[in-house]
Parts: sequence; C-alpha cells; structure tokens
Amino acid sequence: MKLKILAMNHKITPPARRRRSILIFLLLISFSFVFSQTRKIDFVEYNLSNGLHVILHQDNSTPIVAITVTYHVGSKNEEPDRTGFAHFFEHLMFEGSEYIGRGEFDKISENAGGQNNASTSFDQTFYYQILPSNQLELGLWMESERMLHLKIDSIGVETQRKVVKEERKQRLDNQPYGTLQEEIFKHAYKVHPYRWTPIGSAQYIDKATLNEFIDFYKHYYVPQNVVLSIAGDINISQAKKEIEKYFGDIPKGSYEIKRPNTVEPPLGGEVSDTVYDNIQLPLVVHAYRIPAQGTPDYYALEMLNTILAQGQSSRLYKSLVDKQQKAVFAGSLNYSLEDPGLFIVYAVANVGISPNDLENAMQKELNRVKDTLITKEEYQKLQNQTENDFVTSNSTDLGIASSLANYYMFFHNTNLINTEINKYMLVTREDIKRVADKYLIKDNRVVLYYLPKKASGTK
Amino acid sequence: MKNRISIPIVLLLFITGLSFAQIDRSVRPKAGPAPEIKLGKYDSFSLKNGLKVFVVENHKLPRVAFDLVVDRTPILKGDSAGYTEAAGELLRTGTKTRNKDKIDEEIDFIGASLSTSSTGVYAVSLKKHVNKLLDIMSDVVINPLFKQDELDKIKKQMLSSLAAAKDDPNAISGRVRNALFYGKDHPYGESMTEESVNKINLEMCKNYYETYFRPNISYLAIVGDINKAEAQKLVEKYFGKWKKGDVPVNTFPTPKPPLVNKVELVDRANSVQSVITIGYPIELPKASEDVIPASVMNTILGGSFLSRINNNLREKHGYTYGAGSSINSDKYVGSFYVSTKVRNVVTDSAITEIFNELRKMRNTKVTEDELQTTKNYMTGSFARSLENPQTIANFAINIARYNLPPDYYKNYLKNLNSVTVDQISSVTEKYIKPSNCNIIVVGKGDEITNGLKKFSLSGKIDYYDIYGNKYDPSLSKIPEGVTAETVLNKYIEAIGGKENVLKVNDKTTKLSGSVQGMNLTLTIYQKEPNKLYQVLDAGVFKQETIFNGEKGKITGMGQMTEMSPEQVEKMKAESSLHWFLDLDKMGVKKDLAGMETINGKNAYKITFTMPDGGKIVRDFDAESGYLLREVNTMDTPQGSFTQTLDFGDYRDVQGVKYPFKLTQNVGPNTIDLTVNSIEINTGLKDDLFEVK
Repeated sequence: MKLKILAMNHKITPPARRRRSILIFLLLISFSFVFSQTRKIDFVEYNLSNGLHVILHQDNSTPIVAITVTYHVGSKNEEPDRTGFAHFFEHLMFEGSEYIGRGEFDKISENAGGQNNASTSFDQTFYYQILPSNQLELGLWMESERMLHLKIDSIGVETQRKVVKEERKQRLDNQPYGTLQEEIFKHAYKVHPYRWTPIGSAQYIDKATLNEFIDFYKHYYVPQNVVLSIAGDINISQAKKEIEKYFGDIPKGSYEIKRPNTVEPPLGGEVSDTVYDNIQLPLVVHAYRIPAQGTPDYYALEMLNTILAQGQSSRLYKSLVDKQQKAVFAGSLNYSLEDPGLFIVYAVANVGISPNDLENAMQKELNRVKDTLITKEEYQKLQNQTENDFVTSNSTDLGIASSLANYYMFFHNTNLINTEINKYMLVTREDIKRVADKYLIKDNRVVLYYLPKKASGTK
Repeated sequence: MKNRISIPIVLLLFITGLSFAQIDRSVRPKAGPAPEIKLGKYDSFSLKNGLKVFVVENHKLPRVAFDLVVDRTPILKGDSAGYTEAAGELLRTGTKTRNKDKIDEEIDFIGASLSTSSTGVYAVSLKKHVNKLLDIMSDVVINPLFKQDELDKIKKQMLSSLAAAKDDPNAISGRVRNALFYGKDHPYGESMTEESVNKINLEMCKNYYETYFRPNISYLAIVGDINKAEAQKLVEKYFGKWKKGDVPVNTFPTPKPPLVNKVELVDRANSVQSVITIGYPIELPKASEDVIPASVMNTILGGSFLSRINNNLREKHGYTYGAGSSINSDKYVGSFYVSTKVRNVVTDSAITEIFNELRKMRNTKVTEDELQTTKNYMTGSFARSLENPQTIANFAINIARYNLPPDYYKNYLKNLNSVTVDQISSVTEKYIKPSNCNIIVVGKGDEITNGLKKFSLSGKIDYYDIYGNKYDPSLSKIPEGVTAETVLNKYIEAIGGKENVLKVNDKTTKLSGSVQGMNLTLTIYQKEPNKLYQVLDAGVFKQETIFNGEKGKITGMGQMTEMSPEQVEKMKAESSLHWFLDLDKMGVKKDLAGMETINGKNAYKITFTMPDGGKIVRDFDAESGYLLREVNTMDTPQGSFTQTLDFGDYRDVQGVKYPFKLTQNVGPNTIDLTVNSIEINTGLKDDLFEVK
C-alpha cells in the first residue's frame, strides 16, 4: 500500500521516472568487493544560438529514440490566484500548432508508432515522446511546432478545463489519502509557492484567460528556458543537423524569466493538524524542512532515507511493520526540490492501532538515527544498496534522457550522471547522524494526522 | 498540412515572434527507412526434476534477474479465500536455516530484491552477488518453514489492507467486477474478506505449498549478464534438489456473460466521481487465432489515447481524465470491459456514449486509415517493449505455457500487419456484446440512480456491497446506539408517554374511505387487555371481526370463519391498546432489522416475532418516532400475501397521539382511510366482544 506522491501527468500512463539513488564507493570497510562495471553514459551537449540546451546520448541497441523536452517552469512559477496554471497549460500543449490541427498531435504520434506523455511538478514541465528511431525528425518537428507556435482554440480550453478537474477528482478527491501531498505542502510553507501543489485548485482553473495563456507561453516556453535531451538509436551528427533545422529558428524569448526568489523563513515551531478523510486506517506523517537539492547535506539526507526506508531490513519497515506490527506501511521520502524541500516520514496504522501509538513508534526510530551512529554493517549495506541502484539505473532511453536533462537543469552539471557517485562517497556515518540531528527536529516539522471521518458512506 | 481540422469558434494564434522559416514547416517530415526490429534470442534447458529454464543473455547492465513461475491451474479457496496468498508471503518469512530477519538482512546487504507470491518468486541482484542471491532464493523455494507467528503477522496485514480498501473506489470496483463477471464460485471471482482471512490456518498454507510448489509445473526465466553455460551450472546447483510431485489439475465451468444488460451499483455516499466498468467474461484463450485481430479491434475501440472511447469521453465531451477498454485473453476465461471515471452528474451520459461506441463498432466497419494507424501504433509498442530484456523471457514462457507456435513472436509483426478490416468486423461481432453487459458503477447513489435505470433491461438497479454481495438497499446502516428497545421507547414518548397510554382502557375509532370507487366505513372497538370488535361496511359488503382475547371469528358474505391458532396469536399481540408495553409478557421477540425509507422518511424496521413464529414488521420514523407502517405476511390457501398499513397525520386525543390517516395495500388494491373520530374510555361493555 505505497502512497504515491507524483507529478501531474497529461495522461493516465505516467512516464517511468524515478528519483535516482546513486552508488558510493567503499571507504572504511574491511570487506572487499569487486566493483561492478558501471555503465558510463556518454553524451554531447551544446547550446543553439537561441539558448536552447541540447543533450544527446547514442545507444543503438533498440531501434527507438526518446525525445524529452523539459521546460524550466512549474507550479512554483504560478500566481497564488492561479494555482494549477502550469499543469493546465501542459494540457494545452497537446492542442495543436500552426501546422498541427487540434487533436492531431496524438494521431501523428500514434500513427508513427510513438508513445508520448507529459508531467508537471513544482519546478518543471516535462514532455516526452518515444518513437521508432526512423521517426526522430518527425518528433523534432512536433516538439518544435509546439514550442514555436502553439495554437489553442476555445473548444480545446473548455474541454481541458473539464478534463483537468476530473484529473483532480480522480487523483485527490476520490482517493483515500489523495490530498496528502497538498496538505503537507500547505502546512509546511507560508510564503513560498511550494505551499500549493501542481494540481492546484479547481476554482482557478476556470478563471485563467486567453491573455494569461499567451503571456505564460511567451514568458516561459522559450528556447533559453528549455533542455532538449535525446537518447537512443540516433546518429549524433545527423541528429544535430535536424535539431538545428527545426529548433534553430525559434526566436529567443524577450522577457527576463521570473524565478521565484521567496525565501521561506524557518518554520519556527512544530505545526500540527488533523485531516479527516474517507479512510479506514489512520496515517501519521512528519514533514521536516530540508535544504535544496544538490546542497552538501542533500546527499547525506538521501542516504538517511535509504537507511530508513529501503528494503525489508530498513529501520522503519523492520520496526513498525514487521516487529511491532503497528503499521501496514511505513516509509520515508527525501522530497528535495530546486528550492528547500521536505523530508517526509509516514506510516499507515494497522487496524486497532492509535495514531499516537504509531507516531511514538515512528519517533523512536527517528531518535535512534539521531542518537546513535548507524552500525558499520548497516553502512556497508547502505553502500551496496546504492551501488545496486546506481548500476541498474539508466536502463531505458527515456530514463537516461530525462536524467541528463534533470542534472543539467537543476544541478548545472550534466556529467553527474556518471560522477554524482563521488558526492555520495563523501557521506560518512557521522554525516548521516548529523543531518538527522540537524533536520529531524520538532521545531522544524509539520505533523499531520489523517483520521477517518466518522460516518462512512459505503456498505 | 492541407486538411487541417477547421474550428468553428475563435482561433487563437500564439506567435512568439516572426519566424523566417528556412524550412517549410507545413511539410510533415517523412520517416527514414524502417529499422529492423530484432527479437533477442533465448536458450532453454530442463532439469531432471522437470523445471524448464529459459536464459536471455543481455550484457547491458551487470545484473541478473530470476523469475520463477509456478504454472498451476486456478484454485477455488471458498470460505478461506486468501490462504494461497498467505502461503506465497510466508515463503519469504523463513526457511529451515534462516528466519525472516536473516533473509531481510542478507537480501538488503547485497542490494538485491526478492519477492514471493502464491505463484512464483522473483529475485534480482548484481551479477557478482548471484551465488548469494540464488542460495537464498532456492532456500526459500525448497526449504521454507511456515511459522504461526509469521502467519499471524500476514493475516493482520491482510485485515488492515482489506480495511483500507473499503474506501478505495478502484479497489472496490475491481473486486466487484471479478465477483460479477466470474461469480463467487469461480476462482477468478472470489476475493478475501475479513471472515475468510480469519479462517486461514497454517495447515492449509503448508498443504498449498507442498502440493503446488513443484518444479515439474514451473518455469524459471533468467535474464541479464549471464550465458547459458553459467546459468545451467547455477540452476543445477541451486534447484537440482527441488523435488517433483504430482500436482492436481482443477477444472471449472466457464462463466458466461449476462443474458441481458444489468446495472449493478455499489452505492458510496462520499463519491465525487463514478467509477464505471462495462463488460463481461469472454472465451479467448491465448492460443486463439482471434487474439491478434481482437487486440487490434480493442486498440481502435479503447486501447490507446487516440481510441474512439477516450476521444469521445475525454477529448469530445470532457467527462473524464481518461477512458478505455481492454480485452484479455486467458487460458480459462478472459474478459472484455470498458472503464472510466467521470463526475457524478455525467454518469449516465458517459454510459450512453460508451454504448454508442460499442454499437458503432458493431454496426460500421473500421476505416483502412484507422486500422493502419493502429497497426503502426501497435508495431511501435512492440518495438518499445523489446527495450526491456525481460520481454523476451516473457515471450519464451508464454510460448511454453500456452502452447503457442515456437515462432509466434517472431511472426507477431507480420501477423499484426496482415489483419484486415473484415477480420476486425468478425472479431467485433464475436466479442463486442452491447446487450450482454454488466454495467458496474461505484458511485453516489443519490445523484446517479435515476439516470442509470434506463440501461437495465428490467429497469431495475441491483445493489452490491463492496465485496460483491447483493443486498436490498432499503435496509441501510443503523446508527450506533440504536436498538429495538430505544426505537420503541422513542415511539412511546412520541405518542404521549407510558403514563398517558396506560390511562386508555377502551377506544372507539370511526373511519371512512374508499376502495375501487366504493365508499366504506370502518368502526373499531377495542378494550383492555386485548378485546376487539370491528365492523367494515361497504354497502354491498359487510364484514365483522370479533376477538375476545382468547378466540375470534370473522363473518361476512354469509360466511363465518373461526380464527386459526396463528391468527389468534397475532390478534393477541395486535389488539392490545398498548401492545408495545406488553411484548415480553406476551412472549413477542423484537429485532431491529435495518433502516428503510418509507414515503420519503428514514425509518427503523423492527421485526416482531410471535411465540409461534409468526412475524409482523413495523417501521418507525427515525426522526419523529411515530409508527409509519405495519407489514403482515399472511399465508392463505391461495398462497402468502403481504398487507401493508401506513399511518400518518398523528393527532392528540386526550394526551395520546393517534394516526388519523391510514392507507392499506393488499396486492394491487389501495384503501385510503380517514379517521372521523376517536373516543376514549367511554366504558365499552364486555359483551360487545363476545364470540358466539
């Protein structure tokens, strides 16, 4: 019963995107392992004259190509009275362009044997297509079309307003614990735009006007705000030519791109609240404020997350689910973002377990990582787990293309796909204890209880 | 593009600047030469114990995955549904030499993962840890030790998951779909319940494992950084000791689609969307020649984003975030269904559109154009699936499991691309049945039932609980703390209180009304403890009922009938002026049977059982406390019939409230009676009630 905290997708089939967790080398341990040969991801990257950043990775083993287009705009770029706008706009990006009529986008894609989707998160809007490799040019044309001259008609806008409202119901309002992400972020932020989530509020979806769409498009959907990352069965020099052909003439945007510079002040004391939902089992969540992704403590927090939540020997599972049987699920999530994010720990109570009891058990496990160094055995395990994850990540063209884009856009170093491991190498047992001590503290957290509404309406 | 769709409303052009095109953007790029879609190879071998092994060599990542599939026939679990799942989970909780902690630690320590189920085990690790991984995996498969405390944990988790699923409309929809498609007496239709989980014991889990976890019915697919020779050595070493055994083969009758369309509702008061499933079981084995044309047909109808159903419901009408259909081939019994989630208010419109698409599919041929697009799309999907080397392993297992031709997947694209418009028509005819559907809706009854009735041939909606059990919706849930006792007490308070009621010693009620255009008058004399004399005068027809407390008779149309002992029992209980105070004394049992809606009012339904077993049902207004209805079921030589008497217009008569409006229904006849007068304590004589 894992909870999903996902970006909003355009369609039901979500793209296979996972947060990376990456290998570190052994430092202090007496065991010696033969290291697995990690797969080096070769890539080329460059800018077009209009500022569009291009990353290319060639792998000819399967005759397909993944084209990803990441726009550096997400829900944090929205106005408080237009929440959900970026995601809504993502839906409109499928409506057509100067040379692609309404409803034709998917037809062209499917007719070419392709698959496509998109998602919107706090920090970015991500589009992808996977096509047979002989259709690369078609994919480039389609993506350049909607970057250059998107066209929207009022029928499309009105239809998508309805669709997006149903999407919200399906994901949040008609789902047990569906509002979890929304409630966590609402309570964890007071001024930063992370206080609302990408799906936004239904009431604002109706309010957005045509001029606002045009303005948003002119502002954010411009080449200098985009990473075009392609992986698969391509020929690099041929691909470069075709990219220049379709994207080279897209004019640079004339606005200076707004990045929210709101600094969220410290939480300044525990925030706690109760949400009553159509559920049977209470859920307890702690959300601790943490620094932005890529900052020094980020890697130690990733490791802390693995110790707490990866595998059946992990601290939270072993204690809460297996030994004490207080939870039906227990886990954590290092929800790091471009701006300071959250470290989330949560558990769903077994039948008959009170939320207080559950929270105490959860707190005990958090205290353990704060009070005592993880054992050397655990440290070794942690490294082996991250090695495994690192070595086996990057198994699909789509995964590689999106990782490359992500490293460039948010970490400003594309080659981290091969070298980020060095950052993990620096994390010590002491670092893990230190970040737990520093961030997993009462004054820095939101505590939410999800409790059953009294009357349940279903037989 | 010349044939651009023209849009009737305003066209809005977003131009970010002037583009001096070096290229003609109106020309859609042509595809390059089609790349060859190569299927990876696989090797296979068998062990002496019958385990069939497939090896797919792929060195892209330094990892190896082992997928063990136990290919047993389905099992009907009956009242202990869930024990096979529990056995599957138990596998990972201990062996003769490892307890669960040890397994967890060893697996995580090598960064691997191991999962077990009732029909298989999956394990994956880096190549360098393969020996360790297989040591644990084979131990789990060959030497499991099922322990009571681990089973207890699993049962607890199952119960919690069941509880959680009560509020998950998708989980509810899936479970009810299986129950209604396949029936609860088929393995595909049964599901776990709290009761069935509680019945699971260690013995049945052990038996299950002992009987079915055998190499001679199993396949092991090995995928990754490994060759056949290495694989053979490892498998011999780790699985050679696994003992074969005789495994029973179970057979079941094949479930059939409903004869007519039925609407089956799971009423969920807090739903803001309706989860709709429309479909039925089908016979479509994986080896059938229809499988490929049927999957093309389904892709056109509802199998892709562009499909007719998604295009209609989402892009044309904005009813939903997504809608689609699926056709599932299966060795035993497959299924076809359309599913979507829509806002409450468009539930019936969405269903109408779905049926429009089903009928259109049957009534008109698909166009060459959409057939070609669909083939292209499916060719692309097939090519994409090959990116994962596990796909080739799955192909190998399917060929063996379902007796497919050895070149089935090699020829897949060829066969896919040779599907014709006529073949689509023929599989549509065979598998799309718009008049034999289960129309299953999980949603808010109040807001959707009126619109749903029209889809049911009988005009009725069948109600199901979240486990797929049919129920009568008029009996809904009773609030906590309410019992037959509290309902009766509330009634007594409502009509004036015990003290006032006890002051009534006799009562004369005069009523008038009409039936089938005939005027009638009714006079009822009652006296404590339970005497009754009643005269019904309809002019041409007169009937008298007399009961002296011990025996009674009914006269009319020149005939006289003695009351039967059963009638006497009922009269004793009914004729009393305050029967409700003397139930215990009379040996009448009362049970709160549920809630129902009587003439728009929520009412508690109480069944009164006479000492001889006869029953009277009375409904009390949940709000006011008044008696609203009395239901008598009478057995007569002509068969049993039900008589209901509704009460209304309560008015005060000397401190006690009585109904002044009565409506009687017997069969098709309705008699409305109005009380003209009620007189209390006029000193009625005993001889009035004498039975001569």
